[in-house]
Amino acid sequence: MTIERTDLQHPAGDHGLVATARFYWVIFGTLVLLTVLTVSASYADFGQANIVIAILIATIKASLVALFFMHLWRGSAFHTVTFLGAFLFLALFMLLTHDDVRTRGDMDPTYGGTVIPRTGQVAPGGAPVTSATADMVETARPAPLR
Amino acid sequence: MAAVDIETATVHPGDGHVAPDANYLVAERTLRSWLVTRDHKRIGILYLAMIVLAFFLGGVFALLIRIELFARGRTIVDAETYHRFFTLHGSIMIFLFIIPSIPATLGNFFLPIMIGAKDVAFPKLNLASYYIYLLGAAIVISSIVIGAVDTGWTFYTPYSVQSASAVVPMTLGVFVLGFSSILTGLNFMVTVHTMRAPGVTWTRLPLFVWGMYATALIQVLATPVLAITLLLLAAERVFGIGIFDPKLGGDPILFQHFFWFYSHPAVYIMIVPGMAIVSELIATFSRRAIFGYFAIAMSSIGLAVLGFLVWGHHMFVAGMSEFGTMLFSALTFLVAIPSGVKVFNWLATMYRGSIVWASPMLYAMGFIFLFTIGGLTGLFLGALSTDIHLTDTYFVVAHFHYVMMGGTVMGFLGGLLYWWPKITGKMHDEALAKVGFAFVFLGFNVTFLPQFVMGSRGMMRRYYDYRSEFLRFHQVSTVGSWLLSLGLFITAYVLLDALWRGKRAPRNPWGSAGFEWMTETPPPVSNFRETPVITRGPYDYHVATPEELATGWDEVADDEPGQGDKS
Amino acid sequence: MTNVSEPTNTRAELGGQKSARSSSAFLAHHFATAAQQLGAAKLGMWIFIATEILMFGGLFCAYSVWRGAEPEIFDQAHHFLSKPLGAANTIVLLFSSLTAALAVRSAGLGHRQATSAYLFATIACACVFLVVKYFEYSHKIHLGLLPGHCFGHPGFSEAMRGGREVGTCLRLDASDAPVMPEWLRAVDESGRVRVLPPRANMFFGLYFVMTGLHGIHVLVGIGVLSWVLVRNIRGSFSVQYYTPVDLAALYWHLVDLVWIYLFPLLYLVGKPE
Repeated sequence: MTIERTDLQHPAGDHGLVATARFYWVIFGTLVLLTVLTVSASYADFGQANIVIAILIATIKASLVALFFMHLWRGSAFHTVTFLGAFLFLALFMLLTHDDVRTRGDMDPTYGGTVIPRTGQVAPGGAPVTSATADMVETARPAPLR
Repeated sequence: MAAVDIETATVHPGDGHVAPDANYLVAERTLRSWLVTRDHKRIGILYLAMIVLAFFLGGVFALLIRIELFARGRTIVDAETYHRFFTLHGSIMIFLFIIPSIPATLGNFFLPIMIGAKDVAFPKLNLASYYIYLLGAAIVISSIVIGAVDTGWTFYTPYSVQSASAVVPMTLGVFVLGFSSILTGLNFMVTVHTMRAPGVTWTRLPLFVWGMYATALIQVLATPVLAITLLLLAAERVFGIGIFDPKLGGDPILFQHFFWFYSHPAVYIMIVPGMAIVSELIATFSRRAIFGYFAIAMSSIGLAVLGFLVWGHHMFVAGMSEFGTMLFSALTFLVAIPSGVKVFNWLATMYRGSIVWASPMLYAMGFIFLFTIGGLTGLFLGALSTDIHLTDTYFVVAHFHYVMMGGTVMGFLGGLLYWWPKITGKMHDEALAKVGFAFVFLGFNVTFLPQFVMGSRGMMRRYYDYRSEFLRFHQVSTVGSWLLSLGLFITAYVLLDALWRGKRAPRNPWGSAGFEWMTETPPPVSNFRETPVITRGPYDYHVATPEELATGWDEVADDEPGQGDKS
Repeated sequence: MTNVSEPTNTRAELGGQKSARSSSAFLAHHFATAAQQLGAAKLGMWIFIATEILMFGGLFCAYSVWRGAEPEIFDQAHHFLSKPLGAANTIVLLFSSLTAALAVRSAGLGHRQATSAYLFATIACACVFLVVKYFEYSHKIHLGLLPGHCFGHPGFSEAMRGGREVGTCLRLDASDAPVMPEWLRAVDESGRVRVLPPRANMFFGLYFVMTGLHGIHVLVGIGVLSWVLVRNIRGSFSVQYYTPVDLAALYWHLVDLVWIYLFPLLYLVGKPE
């Protein structure tokens, strides 16, 4: 990676050195290649891995843009902290929300409120009773009214 | 160092140039100079005027609520209107008053001064924040005129999607207000990082600045999620996207996740500045270095970070997964720790200090007492088994009023009284301020203490009518609200009266070692005549020179017949 | 302790005198040095970028929740998005990021005309992006692949509908009686006839909100870049001061970043049959 030195007066900070135009074009070329790669990969069936591959390639592309086009590589480290910190809090949000959505009905299949025990009717959009939890629903049925 | 004589301060009225050593209030006197000011001090005052109006408006709705609840059945309005009352009370108090309150007023005014800077990092952005706030407030107020909202300030789906009320204007207004909050937070963070004067290291930052920084961190990270939440709600109403509607394949609980991911950190936006002020008050009025400076500073940051992990505790009975509720409950107990750290450090500061019972100190004491009650009652709500019974009852209402009003508003009033001499150059009537405090404290407790009891006995919140066993509680609570209003009016009178009839304030009436007291009262436009070089911490009473701690009462006494009012 | 080494602006500004330093016209009064001002500006921009990440991130969270809940719908519905157009838009935005970075580089070297050219190229690419988006949107509207209530617009051809009546922008009535048809059939981008469940409106809801919000940011970006271009043509920038170019480019890279994630998640991920 060639960096062209300049003798011009710059304020302090990451304006001090300027990369060559060729360097930016190389990064662009890489990004295009990665785009071609991700589109090609989407035509093949890797099952669950499809989304992982797509996100992985997207992350590599995003990192290239952030590091080199947005100058994180040679800039103040605190900018990187700020950038990654935002993703960290976003990850916390997604993690805990998913923790709720994924585990509904796990501990008590009727607590999720998706099945009426007496009739076995599933609420619209609700998680259906699986075979593993079916007998729990049976025992949860309340005594018949007199 | 004598106080600047206001009458002879340098003024250049016509050429648009501001002599930077003129006192900021009189440097330019035109209306235009106030409305397009880039001076953070003037912007703070502009915000203060609006914040007080918002508090008054929200307070009017509060009084209407309490009057309606004074008797069973219909007292003054029907149920539909009552729903609008409590929604507007909540929305106005939260979005127009309490979220901007301390950061936009006292924070704007004192953050740059406390770090020895001339202004915030982006003064024009600061002014833009103010006008964005005005725009958002105008949209919210207009929604009241159109038909108001009856969903409660939490806008829970599906009702907020179906309600025929003016949900979209209200959410649009709050959306705009959110940007004001984000930009203020951004400004403060950059200011603290890049504009500290020589010698103001991170370990010498006043705790008020640490508090403002932590608040800014929360504002910047949490408010964007509120923005997208409101956008999605509006899209749901207007286009029927269906993301929160089970009939269209959505999930209403997802709305609650989105909403509370902002709104829980928001309560830390509300309380951390109040705590930051209390740290300042206790140090000054115990005339001692604050005990556990680093612990208090880190606890502010700790609240900011941990506050993002506990939002699910508002959703324990919403239909969330049980495992999720357990996780959030455990995390909620964790977030109680930093608050406790602060309270113990404040008490340790007072121990063997030279306590001065000035009115700001009374508010600080009120804060500690009331916030502790509020915080402890939060633990009942954080425990799953008790929350099942207490959720959505008046217990919750009392809890959050104890922390928000008994906490933040107490801190705000204490801060206003403490810094009023610095802001205005006038001393207020301390005796009357203490009377005001007495009514505020008494009225507040009479209003909200019965609500704990009736909540635990089953009185649900947002209910228009109630069973007869709760009648006495409601009546006591309503009378308390009148006492509270009286106290607030007295305090407002004290502050306003000082502007016209207050004695001229000396440079440092409380004898504080804080950095903001080193400059003149009121400060010059550029805050300090020369960029200060700081060589000690803001609470180092043992290091500060007698000149720095000199109150300046002697000079005031020499200049004017009779002494200033220094109770 | 450290002494103040910079001349205080207070003294410099008294009486309206300009500072003795050269090129201080861009230095605001509350900053002591140009370095301080630049550092503050960049930090401010990065914090703003963090807020945008969180705002868009909320949408990605909603996406992930729905994808987890209804993967089959995403598999079927994503075939109605045109991969070639999406890929083209991706390349266009990546190219615009390149020109934005080159614009900053030229500004830093003082090449005013090159900076203008690169800024113009960036704006042009942004406009191309929006034009392509317009075609994509209008195609979907024509097919009736609209979010929520409007799903199932009569754009579906008569033959596909099999003779059933489909109203315009169907609404659920007050009694929640289902007025949406059971299944809808339409021709996807590769010419295949696909059958979509009514809950597929969720995918298109997310599609329109996510790309719509992104599109608004592209529009704002066009505005910001145009303003910076005008200032550059007027000669407001120099080697010592070109911060607005830098900040505008940073914003533009953020817009590109969001699209880098939007494209695969909406267009590419799903069963490739």
